[in-house]
Amino acid sequence: MTVLEATGIRKHFGGVVALSNANLTCRQGRITGLLGANGSGKSTMSKIITGVYSADAGEIKYNGNPVRYRSPNEARTAGVAMVFQNLSLVADLTVWQNIVLGAEPKLGLFLNNRAAMTLCREIVDQLLPGLDVRKMVHELNPGEMQIVEIAKALSEDPKLLILDEPTAALEQAQVKSLFDTMRALVDKGVAIVFTSHRLWEVMEICDDVVIFRNGANVANVDFTKDVKDPEKIVNYITGEAGKARIEKTRRTGGDEIVLRVNNLNHGRFLKNIDFELKRGEILGIGGLAGQGQHELMLALAGNYPGVSCDVELNGEKIRLNRPANAIRNSILLVPGDRQLEGLFLGHSVFTNIIFPKLGLRAQPLFTPEKKYRQETQEVIDALAIVTYNLDMPVNSLSGGNQQKVVVGKWLSFDTNVLLLADPAKGVDVGAKRDLYEYIVSQVKENKMSVILYASDSEELIEHCDRLMIMYEGQIVAILEGDDINDDTIVATSMRVEIGSGK
Amino acid sequence: MNNNSVLKRLVSNPDFSRLLILILMFTLTAVLQRNFFAMKSIVRNINSFTPLILLTMGQAVVILSGGLDLSVGTALSLMTCVLTSVMKEGVPITGFFALAVAFAVAMAIGAVNGFGIGYLRIPPVIVTFATSFIWLGIALFLRPTPGGETVDWFQAFYKIRNIETAPAFLKAFGEIIPPALILVLLGCVLWWVISRTKTGRYIYAVGSNSQSAYETGINTAWVQMRACMINSVFILLAALFFVGQNRSGDARMGDPLTLKAIAAAVVGGIALTGGRGSVYFALIGALIFSFVSKIIFFANIPNAFQTLFGGVIVIVAIAGSQVYTLSSRRAMEESKLT
Repeated sequence: MTVLEATGIRKHFGGVVALSNANLTCRQGRITGLLGANGSGKSTMSKIITGVYSADAGEIKYNGNPVRYRSPNEARTAGVAMVFQNLSLVADLTVWQNIVLGAEPKLGLFLNNRAAMTLCREIVDQLLPGLDVRKMVHELNPGEMQIVEIAKALSEDPKLLILDEPTAALEQAQVKSLFDTMRALVDKGVAIVFTSHRLWEVMEICDDVVIFRNGANVANVDFTKDVKDPEKIVNYITGEAGKARIEKTRRTGGDEIVLRVNNLNHGRFLKNIDFELKRGEILGIGGLAGQGQHELMLALAGNYPGVSCDVELNGEKIRLNRPANAIRNSILLVPGDRQLEGLFLGHSVFTNIIFPKLGLRAQPLFTPEKKYRQETQEVIDALAIVTYNLDMPVNSLSGGNQQKVVVGKWLSFDTNVLLLADPAKGVDVGAKRDLYEYIVSQVKENKMSVILYASDSEELIEHCDRLMIMYEGQIVAILEGDDINDDTIVATSMRVEIGSGK
Repeated sequence: MNNNSVLKRLVSNPDFSRLLILILMFTLTAVLQRNFFAMKSIVRNINSFTPLILLTMGQAVVILSGGLDLSVGTALSLMTCVLTSVMKEGVPITGFFALAVAFAVAMAIGAVNGFGIGYLRIPPVIVTFATSFIWLGIALFLRPTPGGETVDWFQAFYKIRNIETAPAFLKAFGEIIPPALILVLLGCVLWWVISRTKTGRYIYAVGSNSQSAYETGINTAWVQMRACMINSVFILLAALFFVGQNRSGDARMGDPLTLKAIAAAVVGGIALTGGRGSVYFALIGALIFSFVSKIIFFANIPNAFQTLFGGVIVIVAIAGSQVYTLSSRRAMEESKLT
């Protein structure tokens, strides 16, 4: 039975066409995957269905009746729930308060907190047993927050559930239990729309796949009938006949050591970190989520003034007590949360790319605007950033292009070490490929060495020459060569857990 | 073991540091003020603390909802002017009229501020700074010079003994439990009830993340407006006390209280960014603030320096609790390691 049928949806924001002629059909008891590059209109489509935006043209039928919701709340009341890509939790309330927010059970005039807590415990236990629902949301890690977000959507018994990149912040085990819950829901007759940038997830969980490109459908694939062919799907997404995977060629790297870190400690997050980074290699950081990978990146970029360590760069001792110090030594960070840490969102592409230069290098008193604009243009060309012109505000670009801007602002520096924290998070396949191709080419030419942290182990396997596995703030193993594969990574990440007797 | 961890949790709570500061200030005042524990000075202290306590609690509600009210002082003045304009001396029934009118005015004040903050989305500081002049203007129009009439029974909000016609047992009751204390308790009960309704929960949600709250289907503008109206009720309680005490209205009496109430709320741990803190601890903040001014008064600090010292102590109190929070959090993390 068809639960939702959206046909001929059109939507533009100012001069930008987000959806030109998009269709989406969801059937009861099936999981429909929604795929497409960033900016292809997936999120817009979801938001139109749930009433966040209103469509310029087109028709939406829910259970056969034409509908047009004016707010997410109205959609939710009708049984259409959505889990948003950017988290919509309230940090200063507890888990259970967030889950029932807006639909609190009541006893007369007052809130029925006991009933609310019981309800929430039931839902949370399906998804993540052991999560205390009385915890404040700001105490949770990103994965747990995502789970709470999903629990919030489930608490209202939706008939149609739209999950917009729910797995981006989750670790493997959490993804597994999410998938289990999704299957259980589907068995109960719920229809689910699922978007993700991780192809294998879509291949694993979805019954149908709808692929968007530039605001219109390019293909519908029925996995229950058709063959699951990732290469074909990637082609649909990018619109080019490209390879799904870059050929794996592990570089052995020279013997020249660029960065030597000895005995790096930071509170409870990082303990006795020792490693060496060779010239012209990509050194990965892996392990379960939240084992100190993020903190290590920040520490290397000089974000923790109190950090104690012995660091040598090209044989010379340096101090990592301030970001400015790290940058002067050409240790450059591409942070994990580009919107929060990497960009001045409301400002132009030009300002964003040229800004580090203005702040940190000796510059003439009056800025040579023309020269800078030319430099910016070179960066844009080098990374193939899709932007109308240099003065577009950076938040009007798609996620992938925003990420390129973050990388681009370091291009005019001579990079010794580039720290990449989850560079492909929320970035579409095409932009991801562009980014990695550029970085790999730079590494090959020995222009820089890279430390890469990615939450998706596929990326690590694909690009790393060596891989450090972290556990509870320590480096527990360094994998090399053929050892860098899914099984070994998972085993190394977990074996420690058993070995330490916890 | 279990006991130990409960104690540790308590000590690591930032609110614990506020209680410590309160106890410290209380002790200092007790040492400096002669006859601190005499009934008379206790009542006098309660009376002098009450207005700030009420205004701080009201302010805390607005700040929690993501707003800020700079019109608290002039709103208070306006309410005293309204009360004393409606009342006619010797006609007891006008007291009730005055209450009804003042309540309506209070709601209107809250609604106007809330409309600007919530619906028009003008920054709260600007809305309430502007409206503060409107309240002041109306108050000056009603009462260009301090004065006005009150009914005799209005003193029940200050000192029941002053009402000649009051029955003896009420007078005796008023001596044991001063009306000011009842007003504060009333404020506490009011918040206790509200915090157990949707409104209370939503005030936190909107103040913490109004975008999320909106996406969840909460009418954020209406929540902020309600927060402003709750604030107005607290201001009205303070106005009742003032009129009972002074038997007159004054268009300029509330001015110095506005910023004190904000500072006291911050001392009490209300985050100016909204959504974090407790209204009851705002009350404790107001107490700390009040004790500080007592101490400065009794410590024989020259007049010219009293304000300066007051400011310094407030900063020390806020910074102190901040440092305490950080260090205790670090200690917690260290202990988790071992």
